[in-house]
Formats: sequence, structure tokens, C-alpha cells
Amino acid sequence: MSILLEKHIVELLQERNEKAISLLYEHYGNTLYGVANKVVRNEELAQDVLQESFVKIWKNSDSYDSSKAKLFTWLFRITRNTAIDKLRSANTKSDREIQMDISNVYTIGVESTVPEFLDVRENLEKIEPKYQIVLDALFFQGMTQQEASDELDIPLGTIKSRLKIGLRELRKIYGPFVLSLLFEVLLN
Amino acid sequence: MKEKIKLFLESDLLEKYLIGSTTSEETLQVERYIAMYPEVRETYIELQENLETYAKLHALQTPAGLKNRILGMIRKERPVKKHFLTYAIAASFIAFLFAGTAFFFYNQNQNLVEKNVIVSNKIKGMEEDMRKQLEDIRNQFIVLHNPQTKKYPVNGNKKAKELKAVAYVNPVKKLSYINVKNLPHLPEEQCFQMWAEVNGKMVNLGVIKDFSDKDHLLALPYADNAVGYITIEPKGGNHKPTVKNIVANISY
Repeated sequence: MSILLEKHIVELLQERNEKAISLLYEHYGNTLYGVANKVVRNEELAQDVLQESFVKIWKNSDSYDSSKAKLFTWLFRITRNTAIDKLRSANTKSDREIQMDISNVYTIGVESTVPEFLDVRENLEKIEPKYQIVLDALFFQGMTQQEASDELDIPLGTIKSRLKIGLRELRKIYGPFVLSLLFEVLLN
Repeated sequence: MKEKIKLFLESDLLEKYLIGSTTSEETLQVERYIAMYPEVRETYIELQENLETYAKLHALQTPAGLKNRILGMIRKERPVKKHFLTYAIAASFIAFLFAGTAFFFYNQNQNLVEKNVIVSNKIKGMEEDMRKQLEDIRNQFIVLHNPQTKKYPVNGNKKAKELKAVAYVNPVKKLSYINVKNLPHLPEEQCFQMWAEVNGKMVNLGVIKDFSDKDHLLALPYADNAVGYITIEPKGGNHKPTVKNIVANISY
């Protein structure tokens, strides 16, 4: 997302212009849906989560402070927290247990066979599962490295080094991502 | 200082803050570190970028129709202000109604308080009257039935020959009464008034208005060697007896 577009959306949000939600959905809808699904592990629930999250985003648009977080970080926080609440109220297994289902790492992306997501899947496949597990623990499950070490039964030192490599791999993907985003901005 | 930053970065607090799972206290601490230390700030920016990239890797095609559902819900959120206005109008209406009712009841209460004061004053007055009347009747009974009571017939002088009265005096109980039996007819502009000379002072006992009740006893202030007078005065009574118009005197 270009800084300009981000600024534009934030302005629209603060003016309480509905178009902001439309733009947010177009640019972040799929990603946030993926985030919600990653937490609740159920597409139907994830849709509810996305819906509730967008309503919260709309209602709390005043609370966004660009000096404290990037727009996506703010959206991510709202979606993830909504998903965790949903999971708790759905009274299923504890979110951590579900998220620790390692088989998910291999099946992710299978739900979507749309061409544009093939890139995403390919990119994800570039990151080895053992790094993904650590990145998942960090970004989606909100575990500390010590907690991840305990949960996954992996020594803390290994967690630290896998996280380092995982992030490095991520940065390798990040490069082409920026290019594709640039194109997106130009087309818009 | 470096050690402090290193410790902070190793604590995972920044990561927890990134995904929004810090407590409000931790949030304040992290935000302070971000503002103060460029190394922390850079790490935070980098983490945000990593998060966005990693999250995008998990993007999932949203189902058709979800966008419209969301936009529909957002439009439903809009009327909140309208609702608010409706509620505000309703609330002010209720407030006015309440204020009006409160004022009405306040007024009614004030009226009732006033009425209550009037009624209780009336009752007090009546009690006082009854007490006086009862005492009067008791005294009359004592005077009339006590063997020590002396009875003096009173006759009018030349000016009022038809005047007939009886005075009852009881020196033991120190009570005296007069019963006016008959008074001569007077012109309209004149009336009979009673007086008593008690210890050298002239006391006005008032105009004899109603002597149709022939058995009515009028109390006289008691004193040793007091003198009662009946005079003819202008209508409405006088504040001093007109000596030349004395029609009867009663020594008791």
C-alpha cells in the first residue's frame, strides 16, 4: 500500500466517508480474511469476524493514530482481537490449541485457487514450515519466544535462530511485493 | 543504556505490542521506548513491515457478497446519529413532561401546605373557643349552683325603666355574671354598652347585642367592690362610657 493511498484512506475514514471502507476492503479484505481464518480456522466464522472487524474499524476510525502504527498494523490488531473474542465466545477449543495445529501449515492456501493467490501460496511455500511455525507463533498467536519454546518443545535458542531466518526469508519476498504494490498504485 | 534496550528487545514486549496483545501498562512502556530509542523505533517499523508481508502470504479470497454485506452493516451504523436525535427529542420531551409534572405537584404541595396551615389554625382557634366556652359554662354552673353566690336584681333608672337584669356574684370563687332579662327599645343609632369599674379602672365589656336570649349570662371581671354600668352609647359602641347616659349600675 502506497503511503499516499494509505493517507487518502485515513482521511476518508476520519471524514466518515463510506468510501474508506470500500477501499480498505479492496486493499486489505483478503489479507484480513486470511488473518481471521488463521485464528478461527473456520471460513464461516472468519466471515463473521471480518464483518465485525470492519464495523469496529468504521466505528473507531477516530482512534487511529498514524504516528503510533501503520494503517495495516491497526487493522490487523482489530481483526486479530475480534477473531480471538469470536473464538472464545464460540466456545470451541482454546485458540492456542487450534492454532498450534501444525497440519495447517501445509494446507494453507489450498482453499483459494484464484491465480492472484498462487503467488501468495508460492511465496509462502518459500518459507520452510519450521520457520512458519515460529512466525505464526509470533504474529498470530501472540506468544513470547519463551512461550513458543515451551509450547513447541523447541529450545529457546533454536526459536530465536529460526525466527531470525524466517524474518530474513520474509524480507526476500518483501522486495518483489513492494514492486507489485507499486504497479497496483500506478494502475489505481 | 544499550543493555537496557537489548533487554527490552529480547523481552518480546514489542512483538506483543505489534499484534495488540499488551496490557495498557505495557502499551505505555512500549510507546515510551519507541519514542525514546531510534533502535527500538526501527525494529518496530521493520516488524510492522514483516507482519504485513507475512499476513499477506495468508490472504484468502473473500466470498462474493461479503463486501456488500459489510457496506450494508456500515450504512445501518449511520443512523446512530438519527437515532440519537430521536432519542434526544424523546428524552427532552420526557424531561419537559417530568419538569411540568414536578412543577404541578410542587404547586399542589404548596397549596396543600397553605391549606393545612389554615385548617390547623382554625382547629386551634376552635379549640381555644371551646376551651373558653367550656370554662365559661363551668363558671356559670358554679355561680348559679353555689350557695355562696349572691343574686342582685338590677333595674334601670328613669332613662330605661324597662331594663331588668340579674347579677350573680360569688366572692369565694371570685366570679360574677350578669343576665340581662329585658332592655328598653332604643333608636337605631343607639345601643346599650356594658362597663365595669374594677380597682378604679374602667373596663369595656362590649355592646349588648343579642338580648333575645334571655337566659344568656355575661361574665363580669371580678374585683372586690367593683361597679358595673350599663350606658346608652352611639351605635357600634364607645371607648369611654358617657356618664350622663348611665341607665343602670350594679354594685357587686
